[in-house]
Amino acid sequence: MLETRSLTKSFGAVHVTRSVSLKLERGERRVILGPNGAGKTTLFNLLVGELTPDGGSVHLAGEDVTALSVPRRARRGLSRSYQKNTLFDGLTVEENLALAAAVPTGHATRLWSDSLRQPEIRDTVAEVAEQVNLMPHLHAKVSEISYGVRRQLEVGVALATRPLVLLMDEPTSGVGPEMSKGFHDLLNNLPRDLTLLIIEHDMDLAFAVADTITVLNYGEVVFDGLPEEARGSKLLKDIYLGSWEDA
Amino acid sequence: MFRHTPLRYAVLAILAIAALMQAFTAGYFGLEILIEILILCLLVLALDLVAGFGGMVSLCHGALMGVGAYAFVALNVLADLDPWLAALGAVAITAAAAWIIGAICARSHGIYFIMATLAFGQMAYSYVFESPLFGGDDGMGGIDRFDLSAIGLDLNDSRSFALFCLAVLAAAYLFATAILRSGLGRSLAGVMHNEKRMKALGLNTWRIKADVFGLSGIIAGVAGVLAAQHIMFISPGLMNWTVSGEALVVVILGGLGTLVGPLVGAAAFVVMKHELGEVTTYWHLVVGVILIAVVMSRANGIFGWVEARWGDRIERRLTDATRSPAQKEVSTDA
Amino acid sequence: MTQDLSFWTLQTLNALQLSMLLFLLSIGLTVIFGLMHFVNLAHGALYALGAYIAASIAGTAGFWVAILAAPIGVALVGVVLYGGLIQRMRKSGPMAQVLVTFGLIFALLDLTRILWGDLALAIATPAALSGQVELLGVSYPAYRLFIILLGAAIFGALALVLARTQIGAMIRAGVDNDAMAACLGINVERLFFVVFCVGCALAGLAGAVAAPLLSVTPGMGLQILIPTLIVIVIGGLGSLKGAIAGSLIYGFVQTFGAVLAPQLASVLIYALLAAVLVIKPVGLFPAKG
Repeated sequence: MLETRSLTKSFGAVHVTRSVSLKLERGERRVILGPNGAGKTTLFNLLVGELTPDGGSVHLAGEDVTALSVPRRARRGLSRSYQKNTLFDGLTVEENLALAAAVPTGHATRLWSDSLRQPEIRDTVAEVAEQVNLMPHLHAKVSEISYGVRRQLEVGVALATRPLVLLMDEPTSGVGPEMSKGFHDLLNNLPRDLTLLIIEHDMDLAFAVADTITVLNYGEVVFDGLPEEARGSKLLKDIYLGSWEDA
Repeated sequence: MFRHTPLRYAVLAILAIAALMQAFTAGYFGLEILIEILILCLLVLALDLVAGFGGMVSLCHGALMGVGAYAFVALNVLADLDPWLAALGAVAITAAAAWIIGAICARSHGIYFIMATLAFGQMAYSYVFESPLFGGDDGMGGIDRFDLSAIGLDLNDSRSFALFCLAVLAAAYLFATAILRSGLGRSLAGVMHNEKRMKALGLNTWRIKADVFGLSGIIAGVAGVLAAQHIMFISPGLMNWTVSGEALVVVILGGLGTLVGPLVGAAAFVVMKHELGEVTTYWHLVVGVILIAVVMSRANGIFGWVEARWGDRIERRLTDATRSPAQKEVSTDA
Repeated sequence: MTQDLSFWTLQTLNALQLSMLLFLLSIGLTVIFGLMHFVNLAHGALYALGAYIAASIAGTAGFWVAILAAPIGVALVGVVLYGGLIQRMRKSGPMAQVLVTFGLIFALLDLTRILWGDLALAIATPAALSGQVELLGVSYPAYRLFIILLGAAIFGALALVLARTQIGAMIRAGVDNDAMAACLGINVERLFFVVFCVGCALAGLAGAVAAPLLSVTPGMGLQILIPTLIVIVIGGLGSLKGAIAGSLIYGFVQTFGAVLAPQLASVLIYALLAAVLVIKPVGLFPAKG
């Protein structure tokens, strides 16, 4: 469903992504682990097109999308959430979700109909709000909801475009342990055919939700395999020691 | 996102009544002022649409109005078309010009967007200023007003023309609110709040900006056609950037992004200009000081300030007022 | 067409003269923007003020006193503006700044009218510079040559200050990253204040220098504002290199456009600006990549 071939990127002399090749099957849930500065977010930026790679290619559903812009990749079913909340702050939760839901249906650019009142968009908003537990907050403005709820909305907005592949950049960053647990439940609510690529710091959560695990270090894939294998891996312990002991 | 509050409806109603009363009672000079206000209202409506709801602070809207006026004159006087056809063509030309400017400037942000729009506006200004075809510095005259004799109106009469302008403004206001309540308008709000995220969601944000800029150009073009018909004479001064600057001042004094506020601002600005103009020749000084005071107070203009201070209270009181008669009815029934 | 060598020399000198005048104005504006992210539309009004101060003084005390007094006077006005307005508006967005300084244009325009009246003032070129100079086979007004040399000298001096002195290093650091500069112990507030006042003084100087060439009117500030803005946007905000490059581009395009393609000249410069913004949305030599 999503594949990279020898993806490479450097900023000046710093190689942030070194020949990364990944392959995600449809419905696969993969967690990316790696210490700070390992190039995880850069990889996401390359995948969605916010950065242009120096070399290599990105393939979505079998097609090379490396040359496509961010919006065009998104319209082909690639969606992402951000590590730092990237929401429409002055608007309500419902409006945030509706803005996203209106893009793939074409209502987002239409002059003769109101995207907020379309039944299909309202359905999507309700469904996504259910999936990410936003029902009680629908009419609150982003500025009025707590940080944890904003993190849920961050994922909700990305989900509302009905993507084929969803990239989640540390969805639990900055939230407490209960929220992390809640996030585990949230993932269980998502359709099984949705392909997920998740950057996650919480090791327990990572092992609980992942079908497969990729470990990045210094921009390089140093491990790629099943969670059970990762758990026993000496290599992973070495490079990830700090977080390992936290978890 | 845009919505009408009871306060906004109330202010709109007051404005409409005031304009109608002025239109039916005022003498020639009062009618001229009213028409001036109504045309400025159209321009600031167009500007608020892009600046207040799309974050696109344009310094070319005066020039767009000028494009509408000049295109109208070119089609009406030079090509000798019927005023209605000429107006239609002029509005289409203005909208196209606005769409192109919007599309080109969509990549720029902040001060660069302001400068880029300024450049396009000044380009148009310099062009007509130098162009012998359009009369250059001297401008052009011989402009016809619309022929509405079919419905018994003679637009050469100031009162009829004022009423006509008021009707056009009402239509333009409805058009603007329709844009803001469409999918396009909602997306524009998204782009203003977070353009990066809208892109990540799959939206061609430049297209949204250009489309709304073009639609705003329609209103600016209509303003231009009416301005040309009003004075029956046009000169490059209409396109100068200070016209755009003043329009921006009016939007800010009224309340950016409220749609209603700029209308209040336009009325206040024109009246103030004429009233102060009678007392002192230094009315710019007064306007300048008020502008500085309003911006530095961090209030969103006159209307924005009223809205922030009393909007909630008025809304509550009005909803209470509409609910209480119904409750009384229930109690008498019981 | 008179396309012999002397024609080109003459037009080149005219272009240089216009460029240098614009440079004096734009350098202050661009560095203030680069350092403080502040858009001061009233910069042109300060230039007009400089011209008026010079015109008032030149009659009694002579040109050379006037040309010194104008920058000082305008810098003092700058001190007042900085304390009263600019400092408070620094954290506001570009739109609020544009509007406040737009209001300032209105206010200063009428203040000059109140103080000096509506009539245009004239100021004579100083006796020492009133003649013509033989240069490269053409006879050129000495005063215009003086403007070129003054502009070049100030460019040289500023380049030297920016590259070699401690305050220059502080300004460069501030333009690059003001938060970082503040962390390094640079008194950013004082630096802003100094730069703002120097920028104002240069605008005043430009006004005084331009006064003998043009008639001094309340509207002169508005007339020069747009060319100045074009210069700094083409050049790229915040950099000395951008200011000089933008000034030269404007000066040459405007001057040669006017003699070679008078129909297109005024449109040409705006088209150039639009083209630059489309291709390089932040100008040719922005201070920050």
